[in-house]
Amino acid sequence: MRTIINLFLISSLISLSACGQKEKLEEVNYRLKWLYNVSTVGDLYAETHGYFARNGLKVNVKPGGPERDALKELELGHAQFGVASADQVLRAVAKGAPIVVLAQLFQVNPLHWIYRPDRMAFSGGEDLKGKRIGVTFGGNDEAILRALLARYGISENQVDLFSVRYDYTPFYEGRVDFWPLYLNAQAVIIGAKLEKAGESYAFLSPDQLGVRFAANSVVTTREMVEKHPDTVKSFVAALREGWRAALDPRNQEQAIQVLLEADRETPEIIVRRQLAVTRDLMLPPAGGEFGQIDAAAWRQTEEIMRAQKLIPGPVDLGPLLGTFN
Amino acid sequence: MLHRRIYQFLIIYGLGLGLLMVLKYGLNLSDYVIPSPDEIARTSRSYAGPYLLAVLNTLAVAILGHILSICLATIVAVIGRLTAWIGSFIRTAAYNIQAYPIVAVAPIIFILLGDGLLSRLLIAAMICYFPLLLSFIGVFSEPVREIEHFFESTGRMTWRLQVKIRAFENVQKLTTVIVGSATMAMVGTIVAEFIAATAGIGYSIRIALYQSDLAKILVALFLIGVGTSLYLVSLEWMGNVLQKRLRSS
Repeated sequence: MRTIINLFLISSLISLSACGQKEKLEEVNYRLKWLYNVSTVGDLYAETHGYFARNGLKVNVKPGGPERDALKELELGHAQFGVASADQVLRAVAKGAPIVVLAQLFQVNPLHWIYRPDRMAFSGGEDLKGKRIGVTFGGNDEAILRALLARYGISENQVDLFSVRYDYTPFYEGRVDFWPLYLNAQAVIIGAKLEKAGESYAFLSPDQLGVRFAANSVVTTREMVEKHPDTVKSFVAALREGWRAALDPRNQEQAIQVLLEADRETPEIIVRRQLAVTRDLMLPPAGGEFGQIDAAAWRQTEEIMRAQKLIPGPVDLGPLLGTFN
Repeated sequence: MLHRRIYQFLIIYGLGLGLLMVLKYGLNLSDYVIPSPDEIARTSRSYAGPYLLAVLNTLAVAILGHILSICLATIVAVIGRLTAWIGSFIRTAAYNIQAYPIVAVAPIIFILLGDGLLSRLLIAAMICYFPLLLSFIGVFSEPVREIEHFFESTGRMTWRLQVKIRAFENVQKLTTVIVGSATMAMVGTIVAEFIAATAGIGYSIRIALYQSDLAKILVALFLIGVGTSLYLVSLEWMGNVLQKRLRSS
């Protein structure tokens, strides 16, 4: 009888302490930029492997999407943290949004252009002249492409800009020379298809051609940094740990498992290749810390957007990038 | 009639805009979330011209698609009235096909037909065709017994006469359905442009969304509202003229 009572008491204490721990967790919402895919592996890994919980947080990692805007959700109080591209952040800050960048996820912008090297010679930016180039009008690829053209002294009437949507048929059919895509996402899928068809392909990297346009970053509001600095610190620490672990080759199988559970549409073989590419784009140079902010890339991004009149005037990057870091 | 429609639209638009401003200043939101009146005015000055052309482009496609769907619905409904079975079959088919969301079908259309005029036209016609068809089948399948009986008993009834009688007796209903479906034609065209076209106001809205620029979207919505109101008023006017002529003849 005594054993039963002891067992009951112990189990009650365990449940109570578990409840107590649960109650202590601070709940926050984290809005991603896009749907669950390889670009969110660290976020998902941090959630499923308890990194947030160990830092005292219950983080609701919510998928983004084409019509979702984490920055607006932050300002409206629907989310406390979010992921947004640098051009989104600069547009918002230029219009008075109280945003602070906490970490930069991609060290190299994943946006590239795919082309077929066997059908045309391409050795540098000058070779874009006379080519038919896919572009999402209004998207950040348009800003990057225009910056590339300006850098290499190519005017718009010297290229043929082709409006791009989700359908890759014009590229498959060879009607378009360069097609924009994300190197760690669609590029792997399209590459696999082209390989299957026995076709060769290569990528135009804006970064290698001198246009360093900052990409996705983790953001929050200035109010959050000022009023809840400990929550912000815990969140960033947990997120960094989660990302580092997810991109560590030793944890590859667990990371793939996390992705396959969140994104059931993408086959495992593709996810494996995507993860390897993501690692190259996200990990900082030796000695760097995951999520470090590339101030030079942000400066160039701001200059590009100002030159293209995508923002009305200069944006002070100091408070934007330096408030938390 | 024109004044009333435009006033009504302006009141609705003004109320919507007012609500946004209450939210903006009540919650102290930045211009990124909700643009200030100044920014809306600035955007209007810069984009009203190109957006007006885009709305006219969309309106032209919507009108063509609407005409196409009215013709098609009339033909199918006239055939459908022949027997109860064909009428019922067409109605069931229309219900089933209508159940497919156009946003799911539209990408297939764009892949097959490209992102030009034909795809936009087809999608606009598809969106307003089915409601038209259902109403037209209802009208053309329902006998007007007190009139038709006379012609049938005297042996002078032809299918053309039958269609004319039923159309004449239900002209008010047909006009209402046609005017109602006009807004759907406009919506269909905008949806098509939003999904994949490279012209029209739907395409401009998509670009504005990429840029998170609500001021541009508000300007576009204003012009769409005015354009649609004008089209509806034109249709109502044509319906009234037709009814008057039919009554006098």
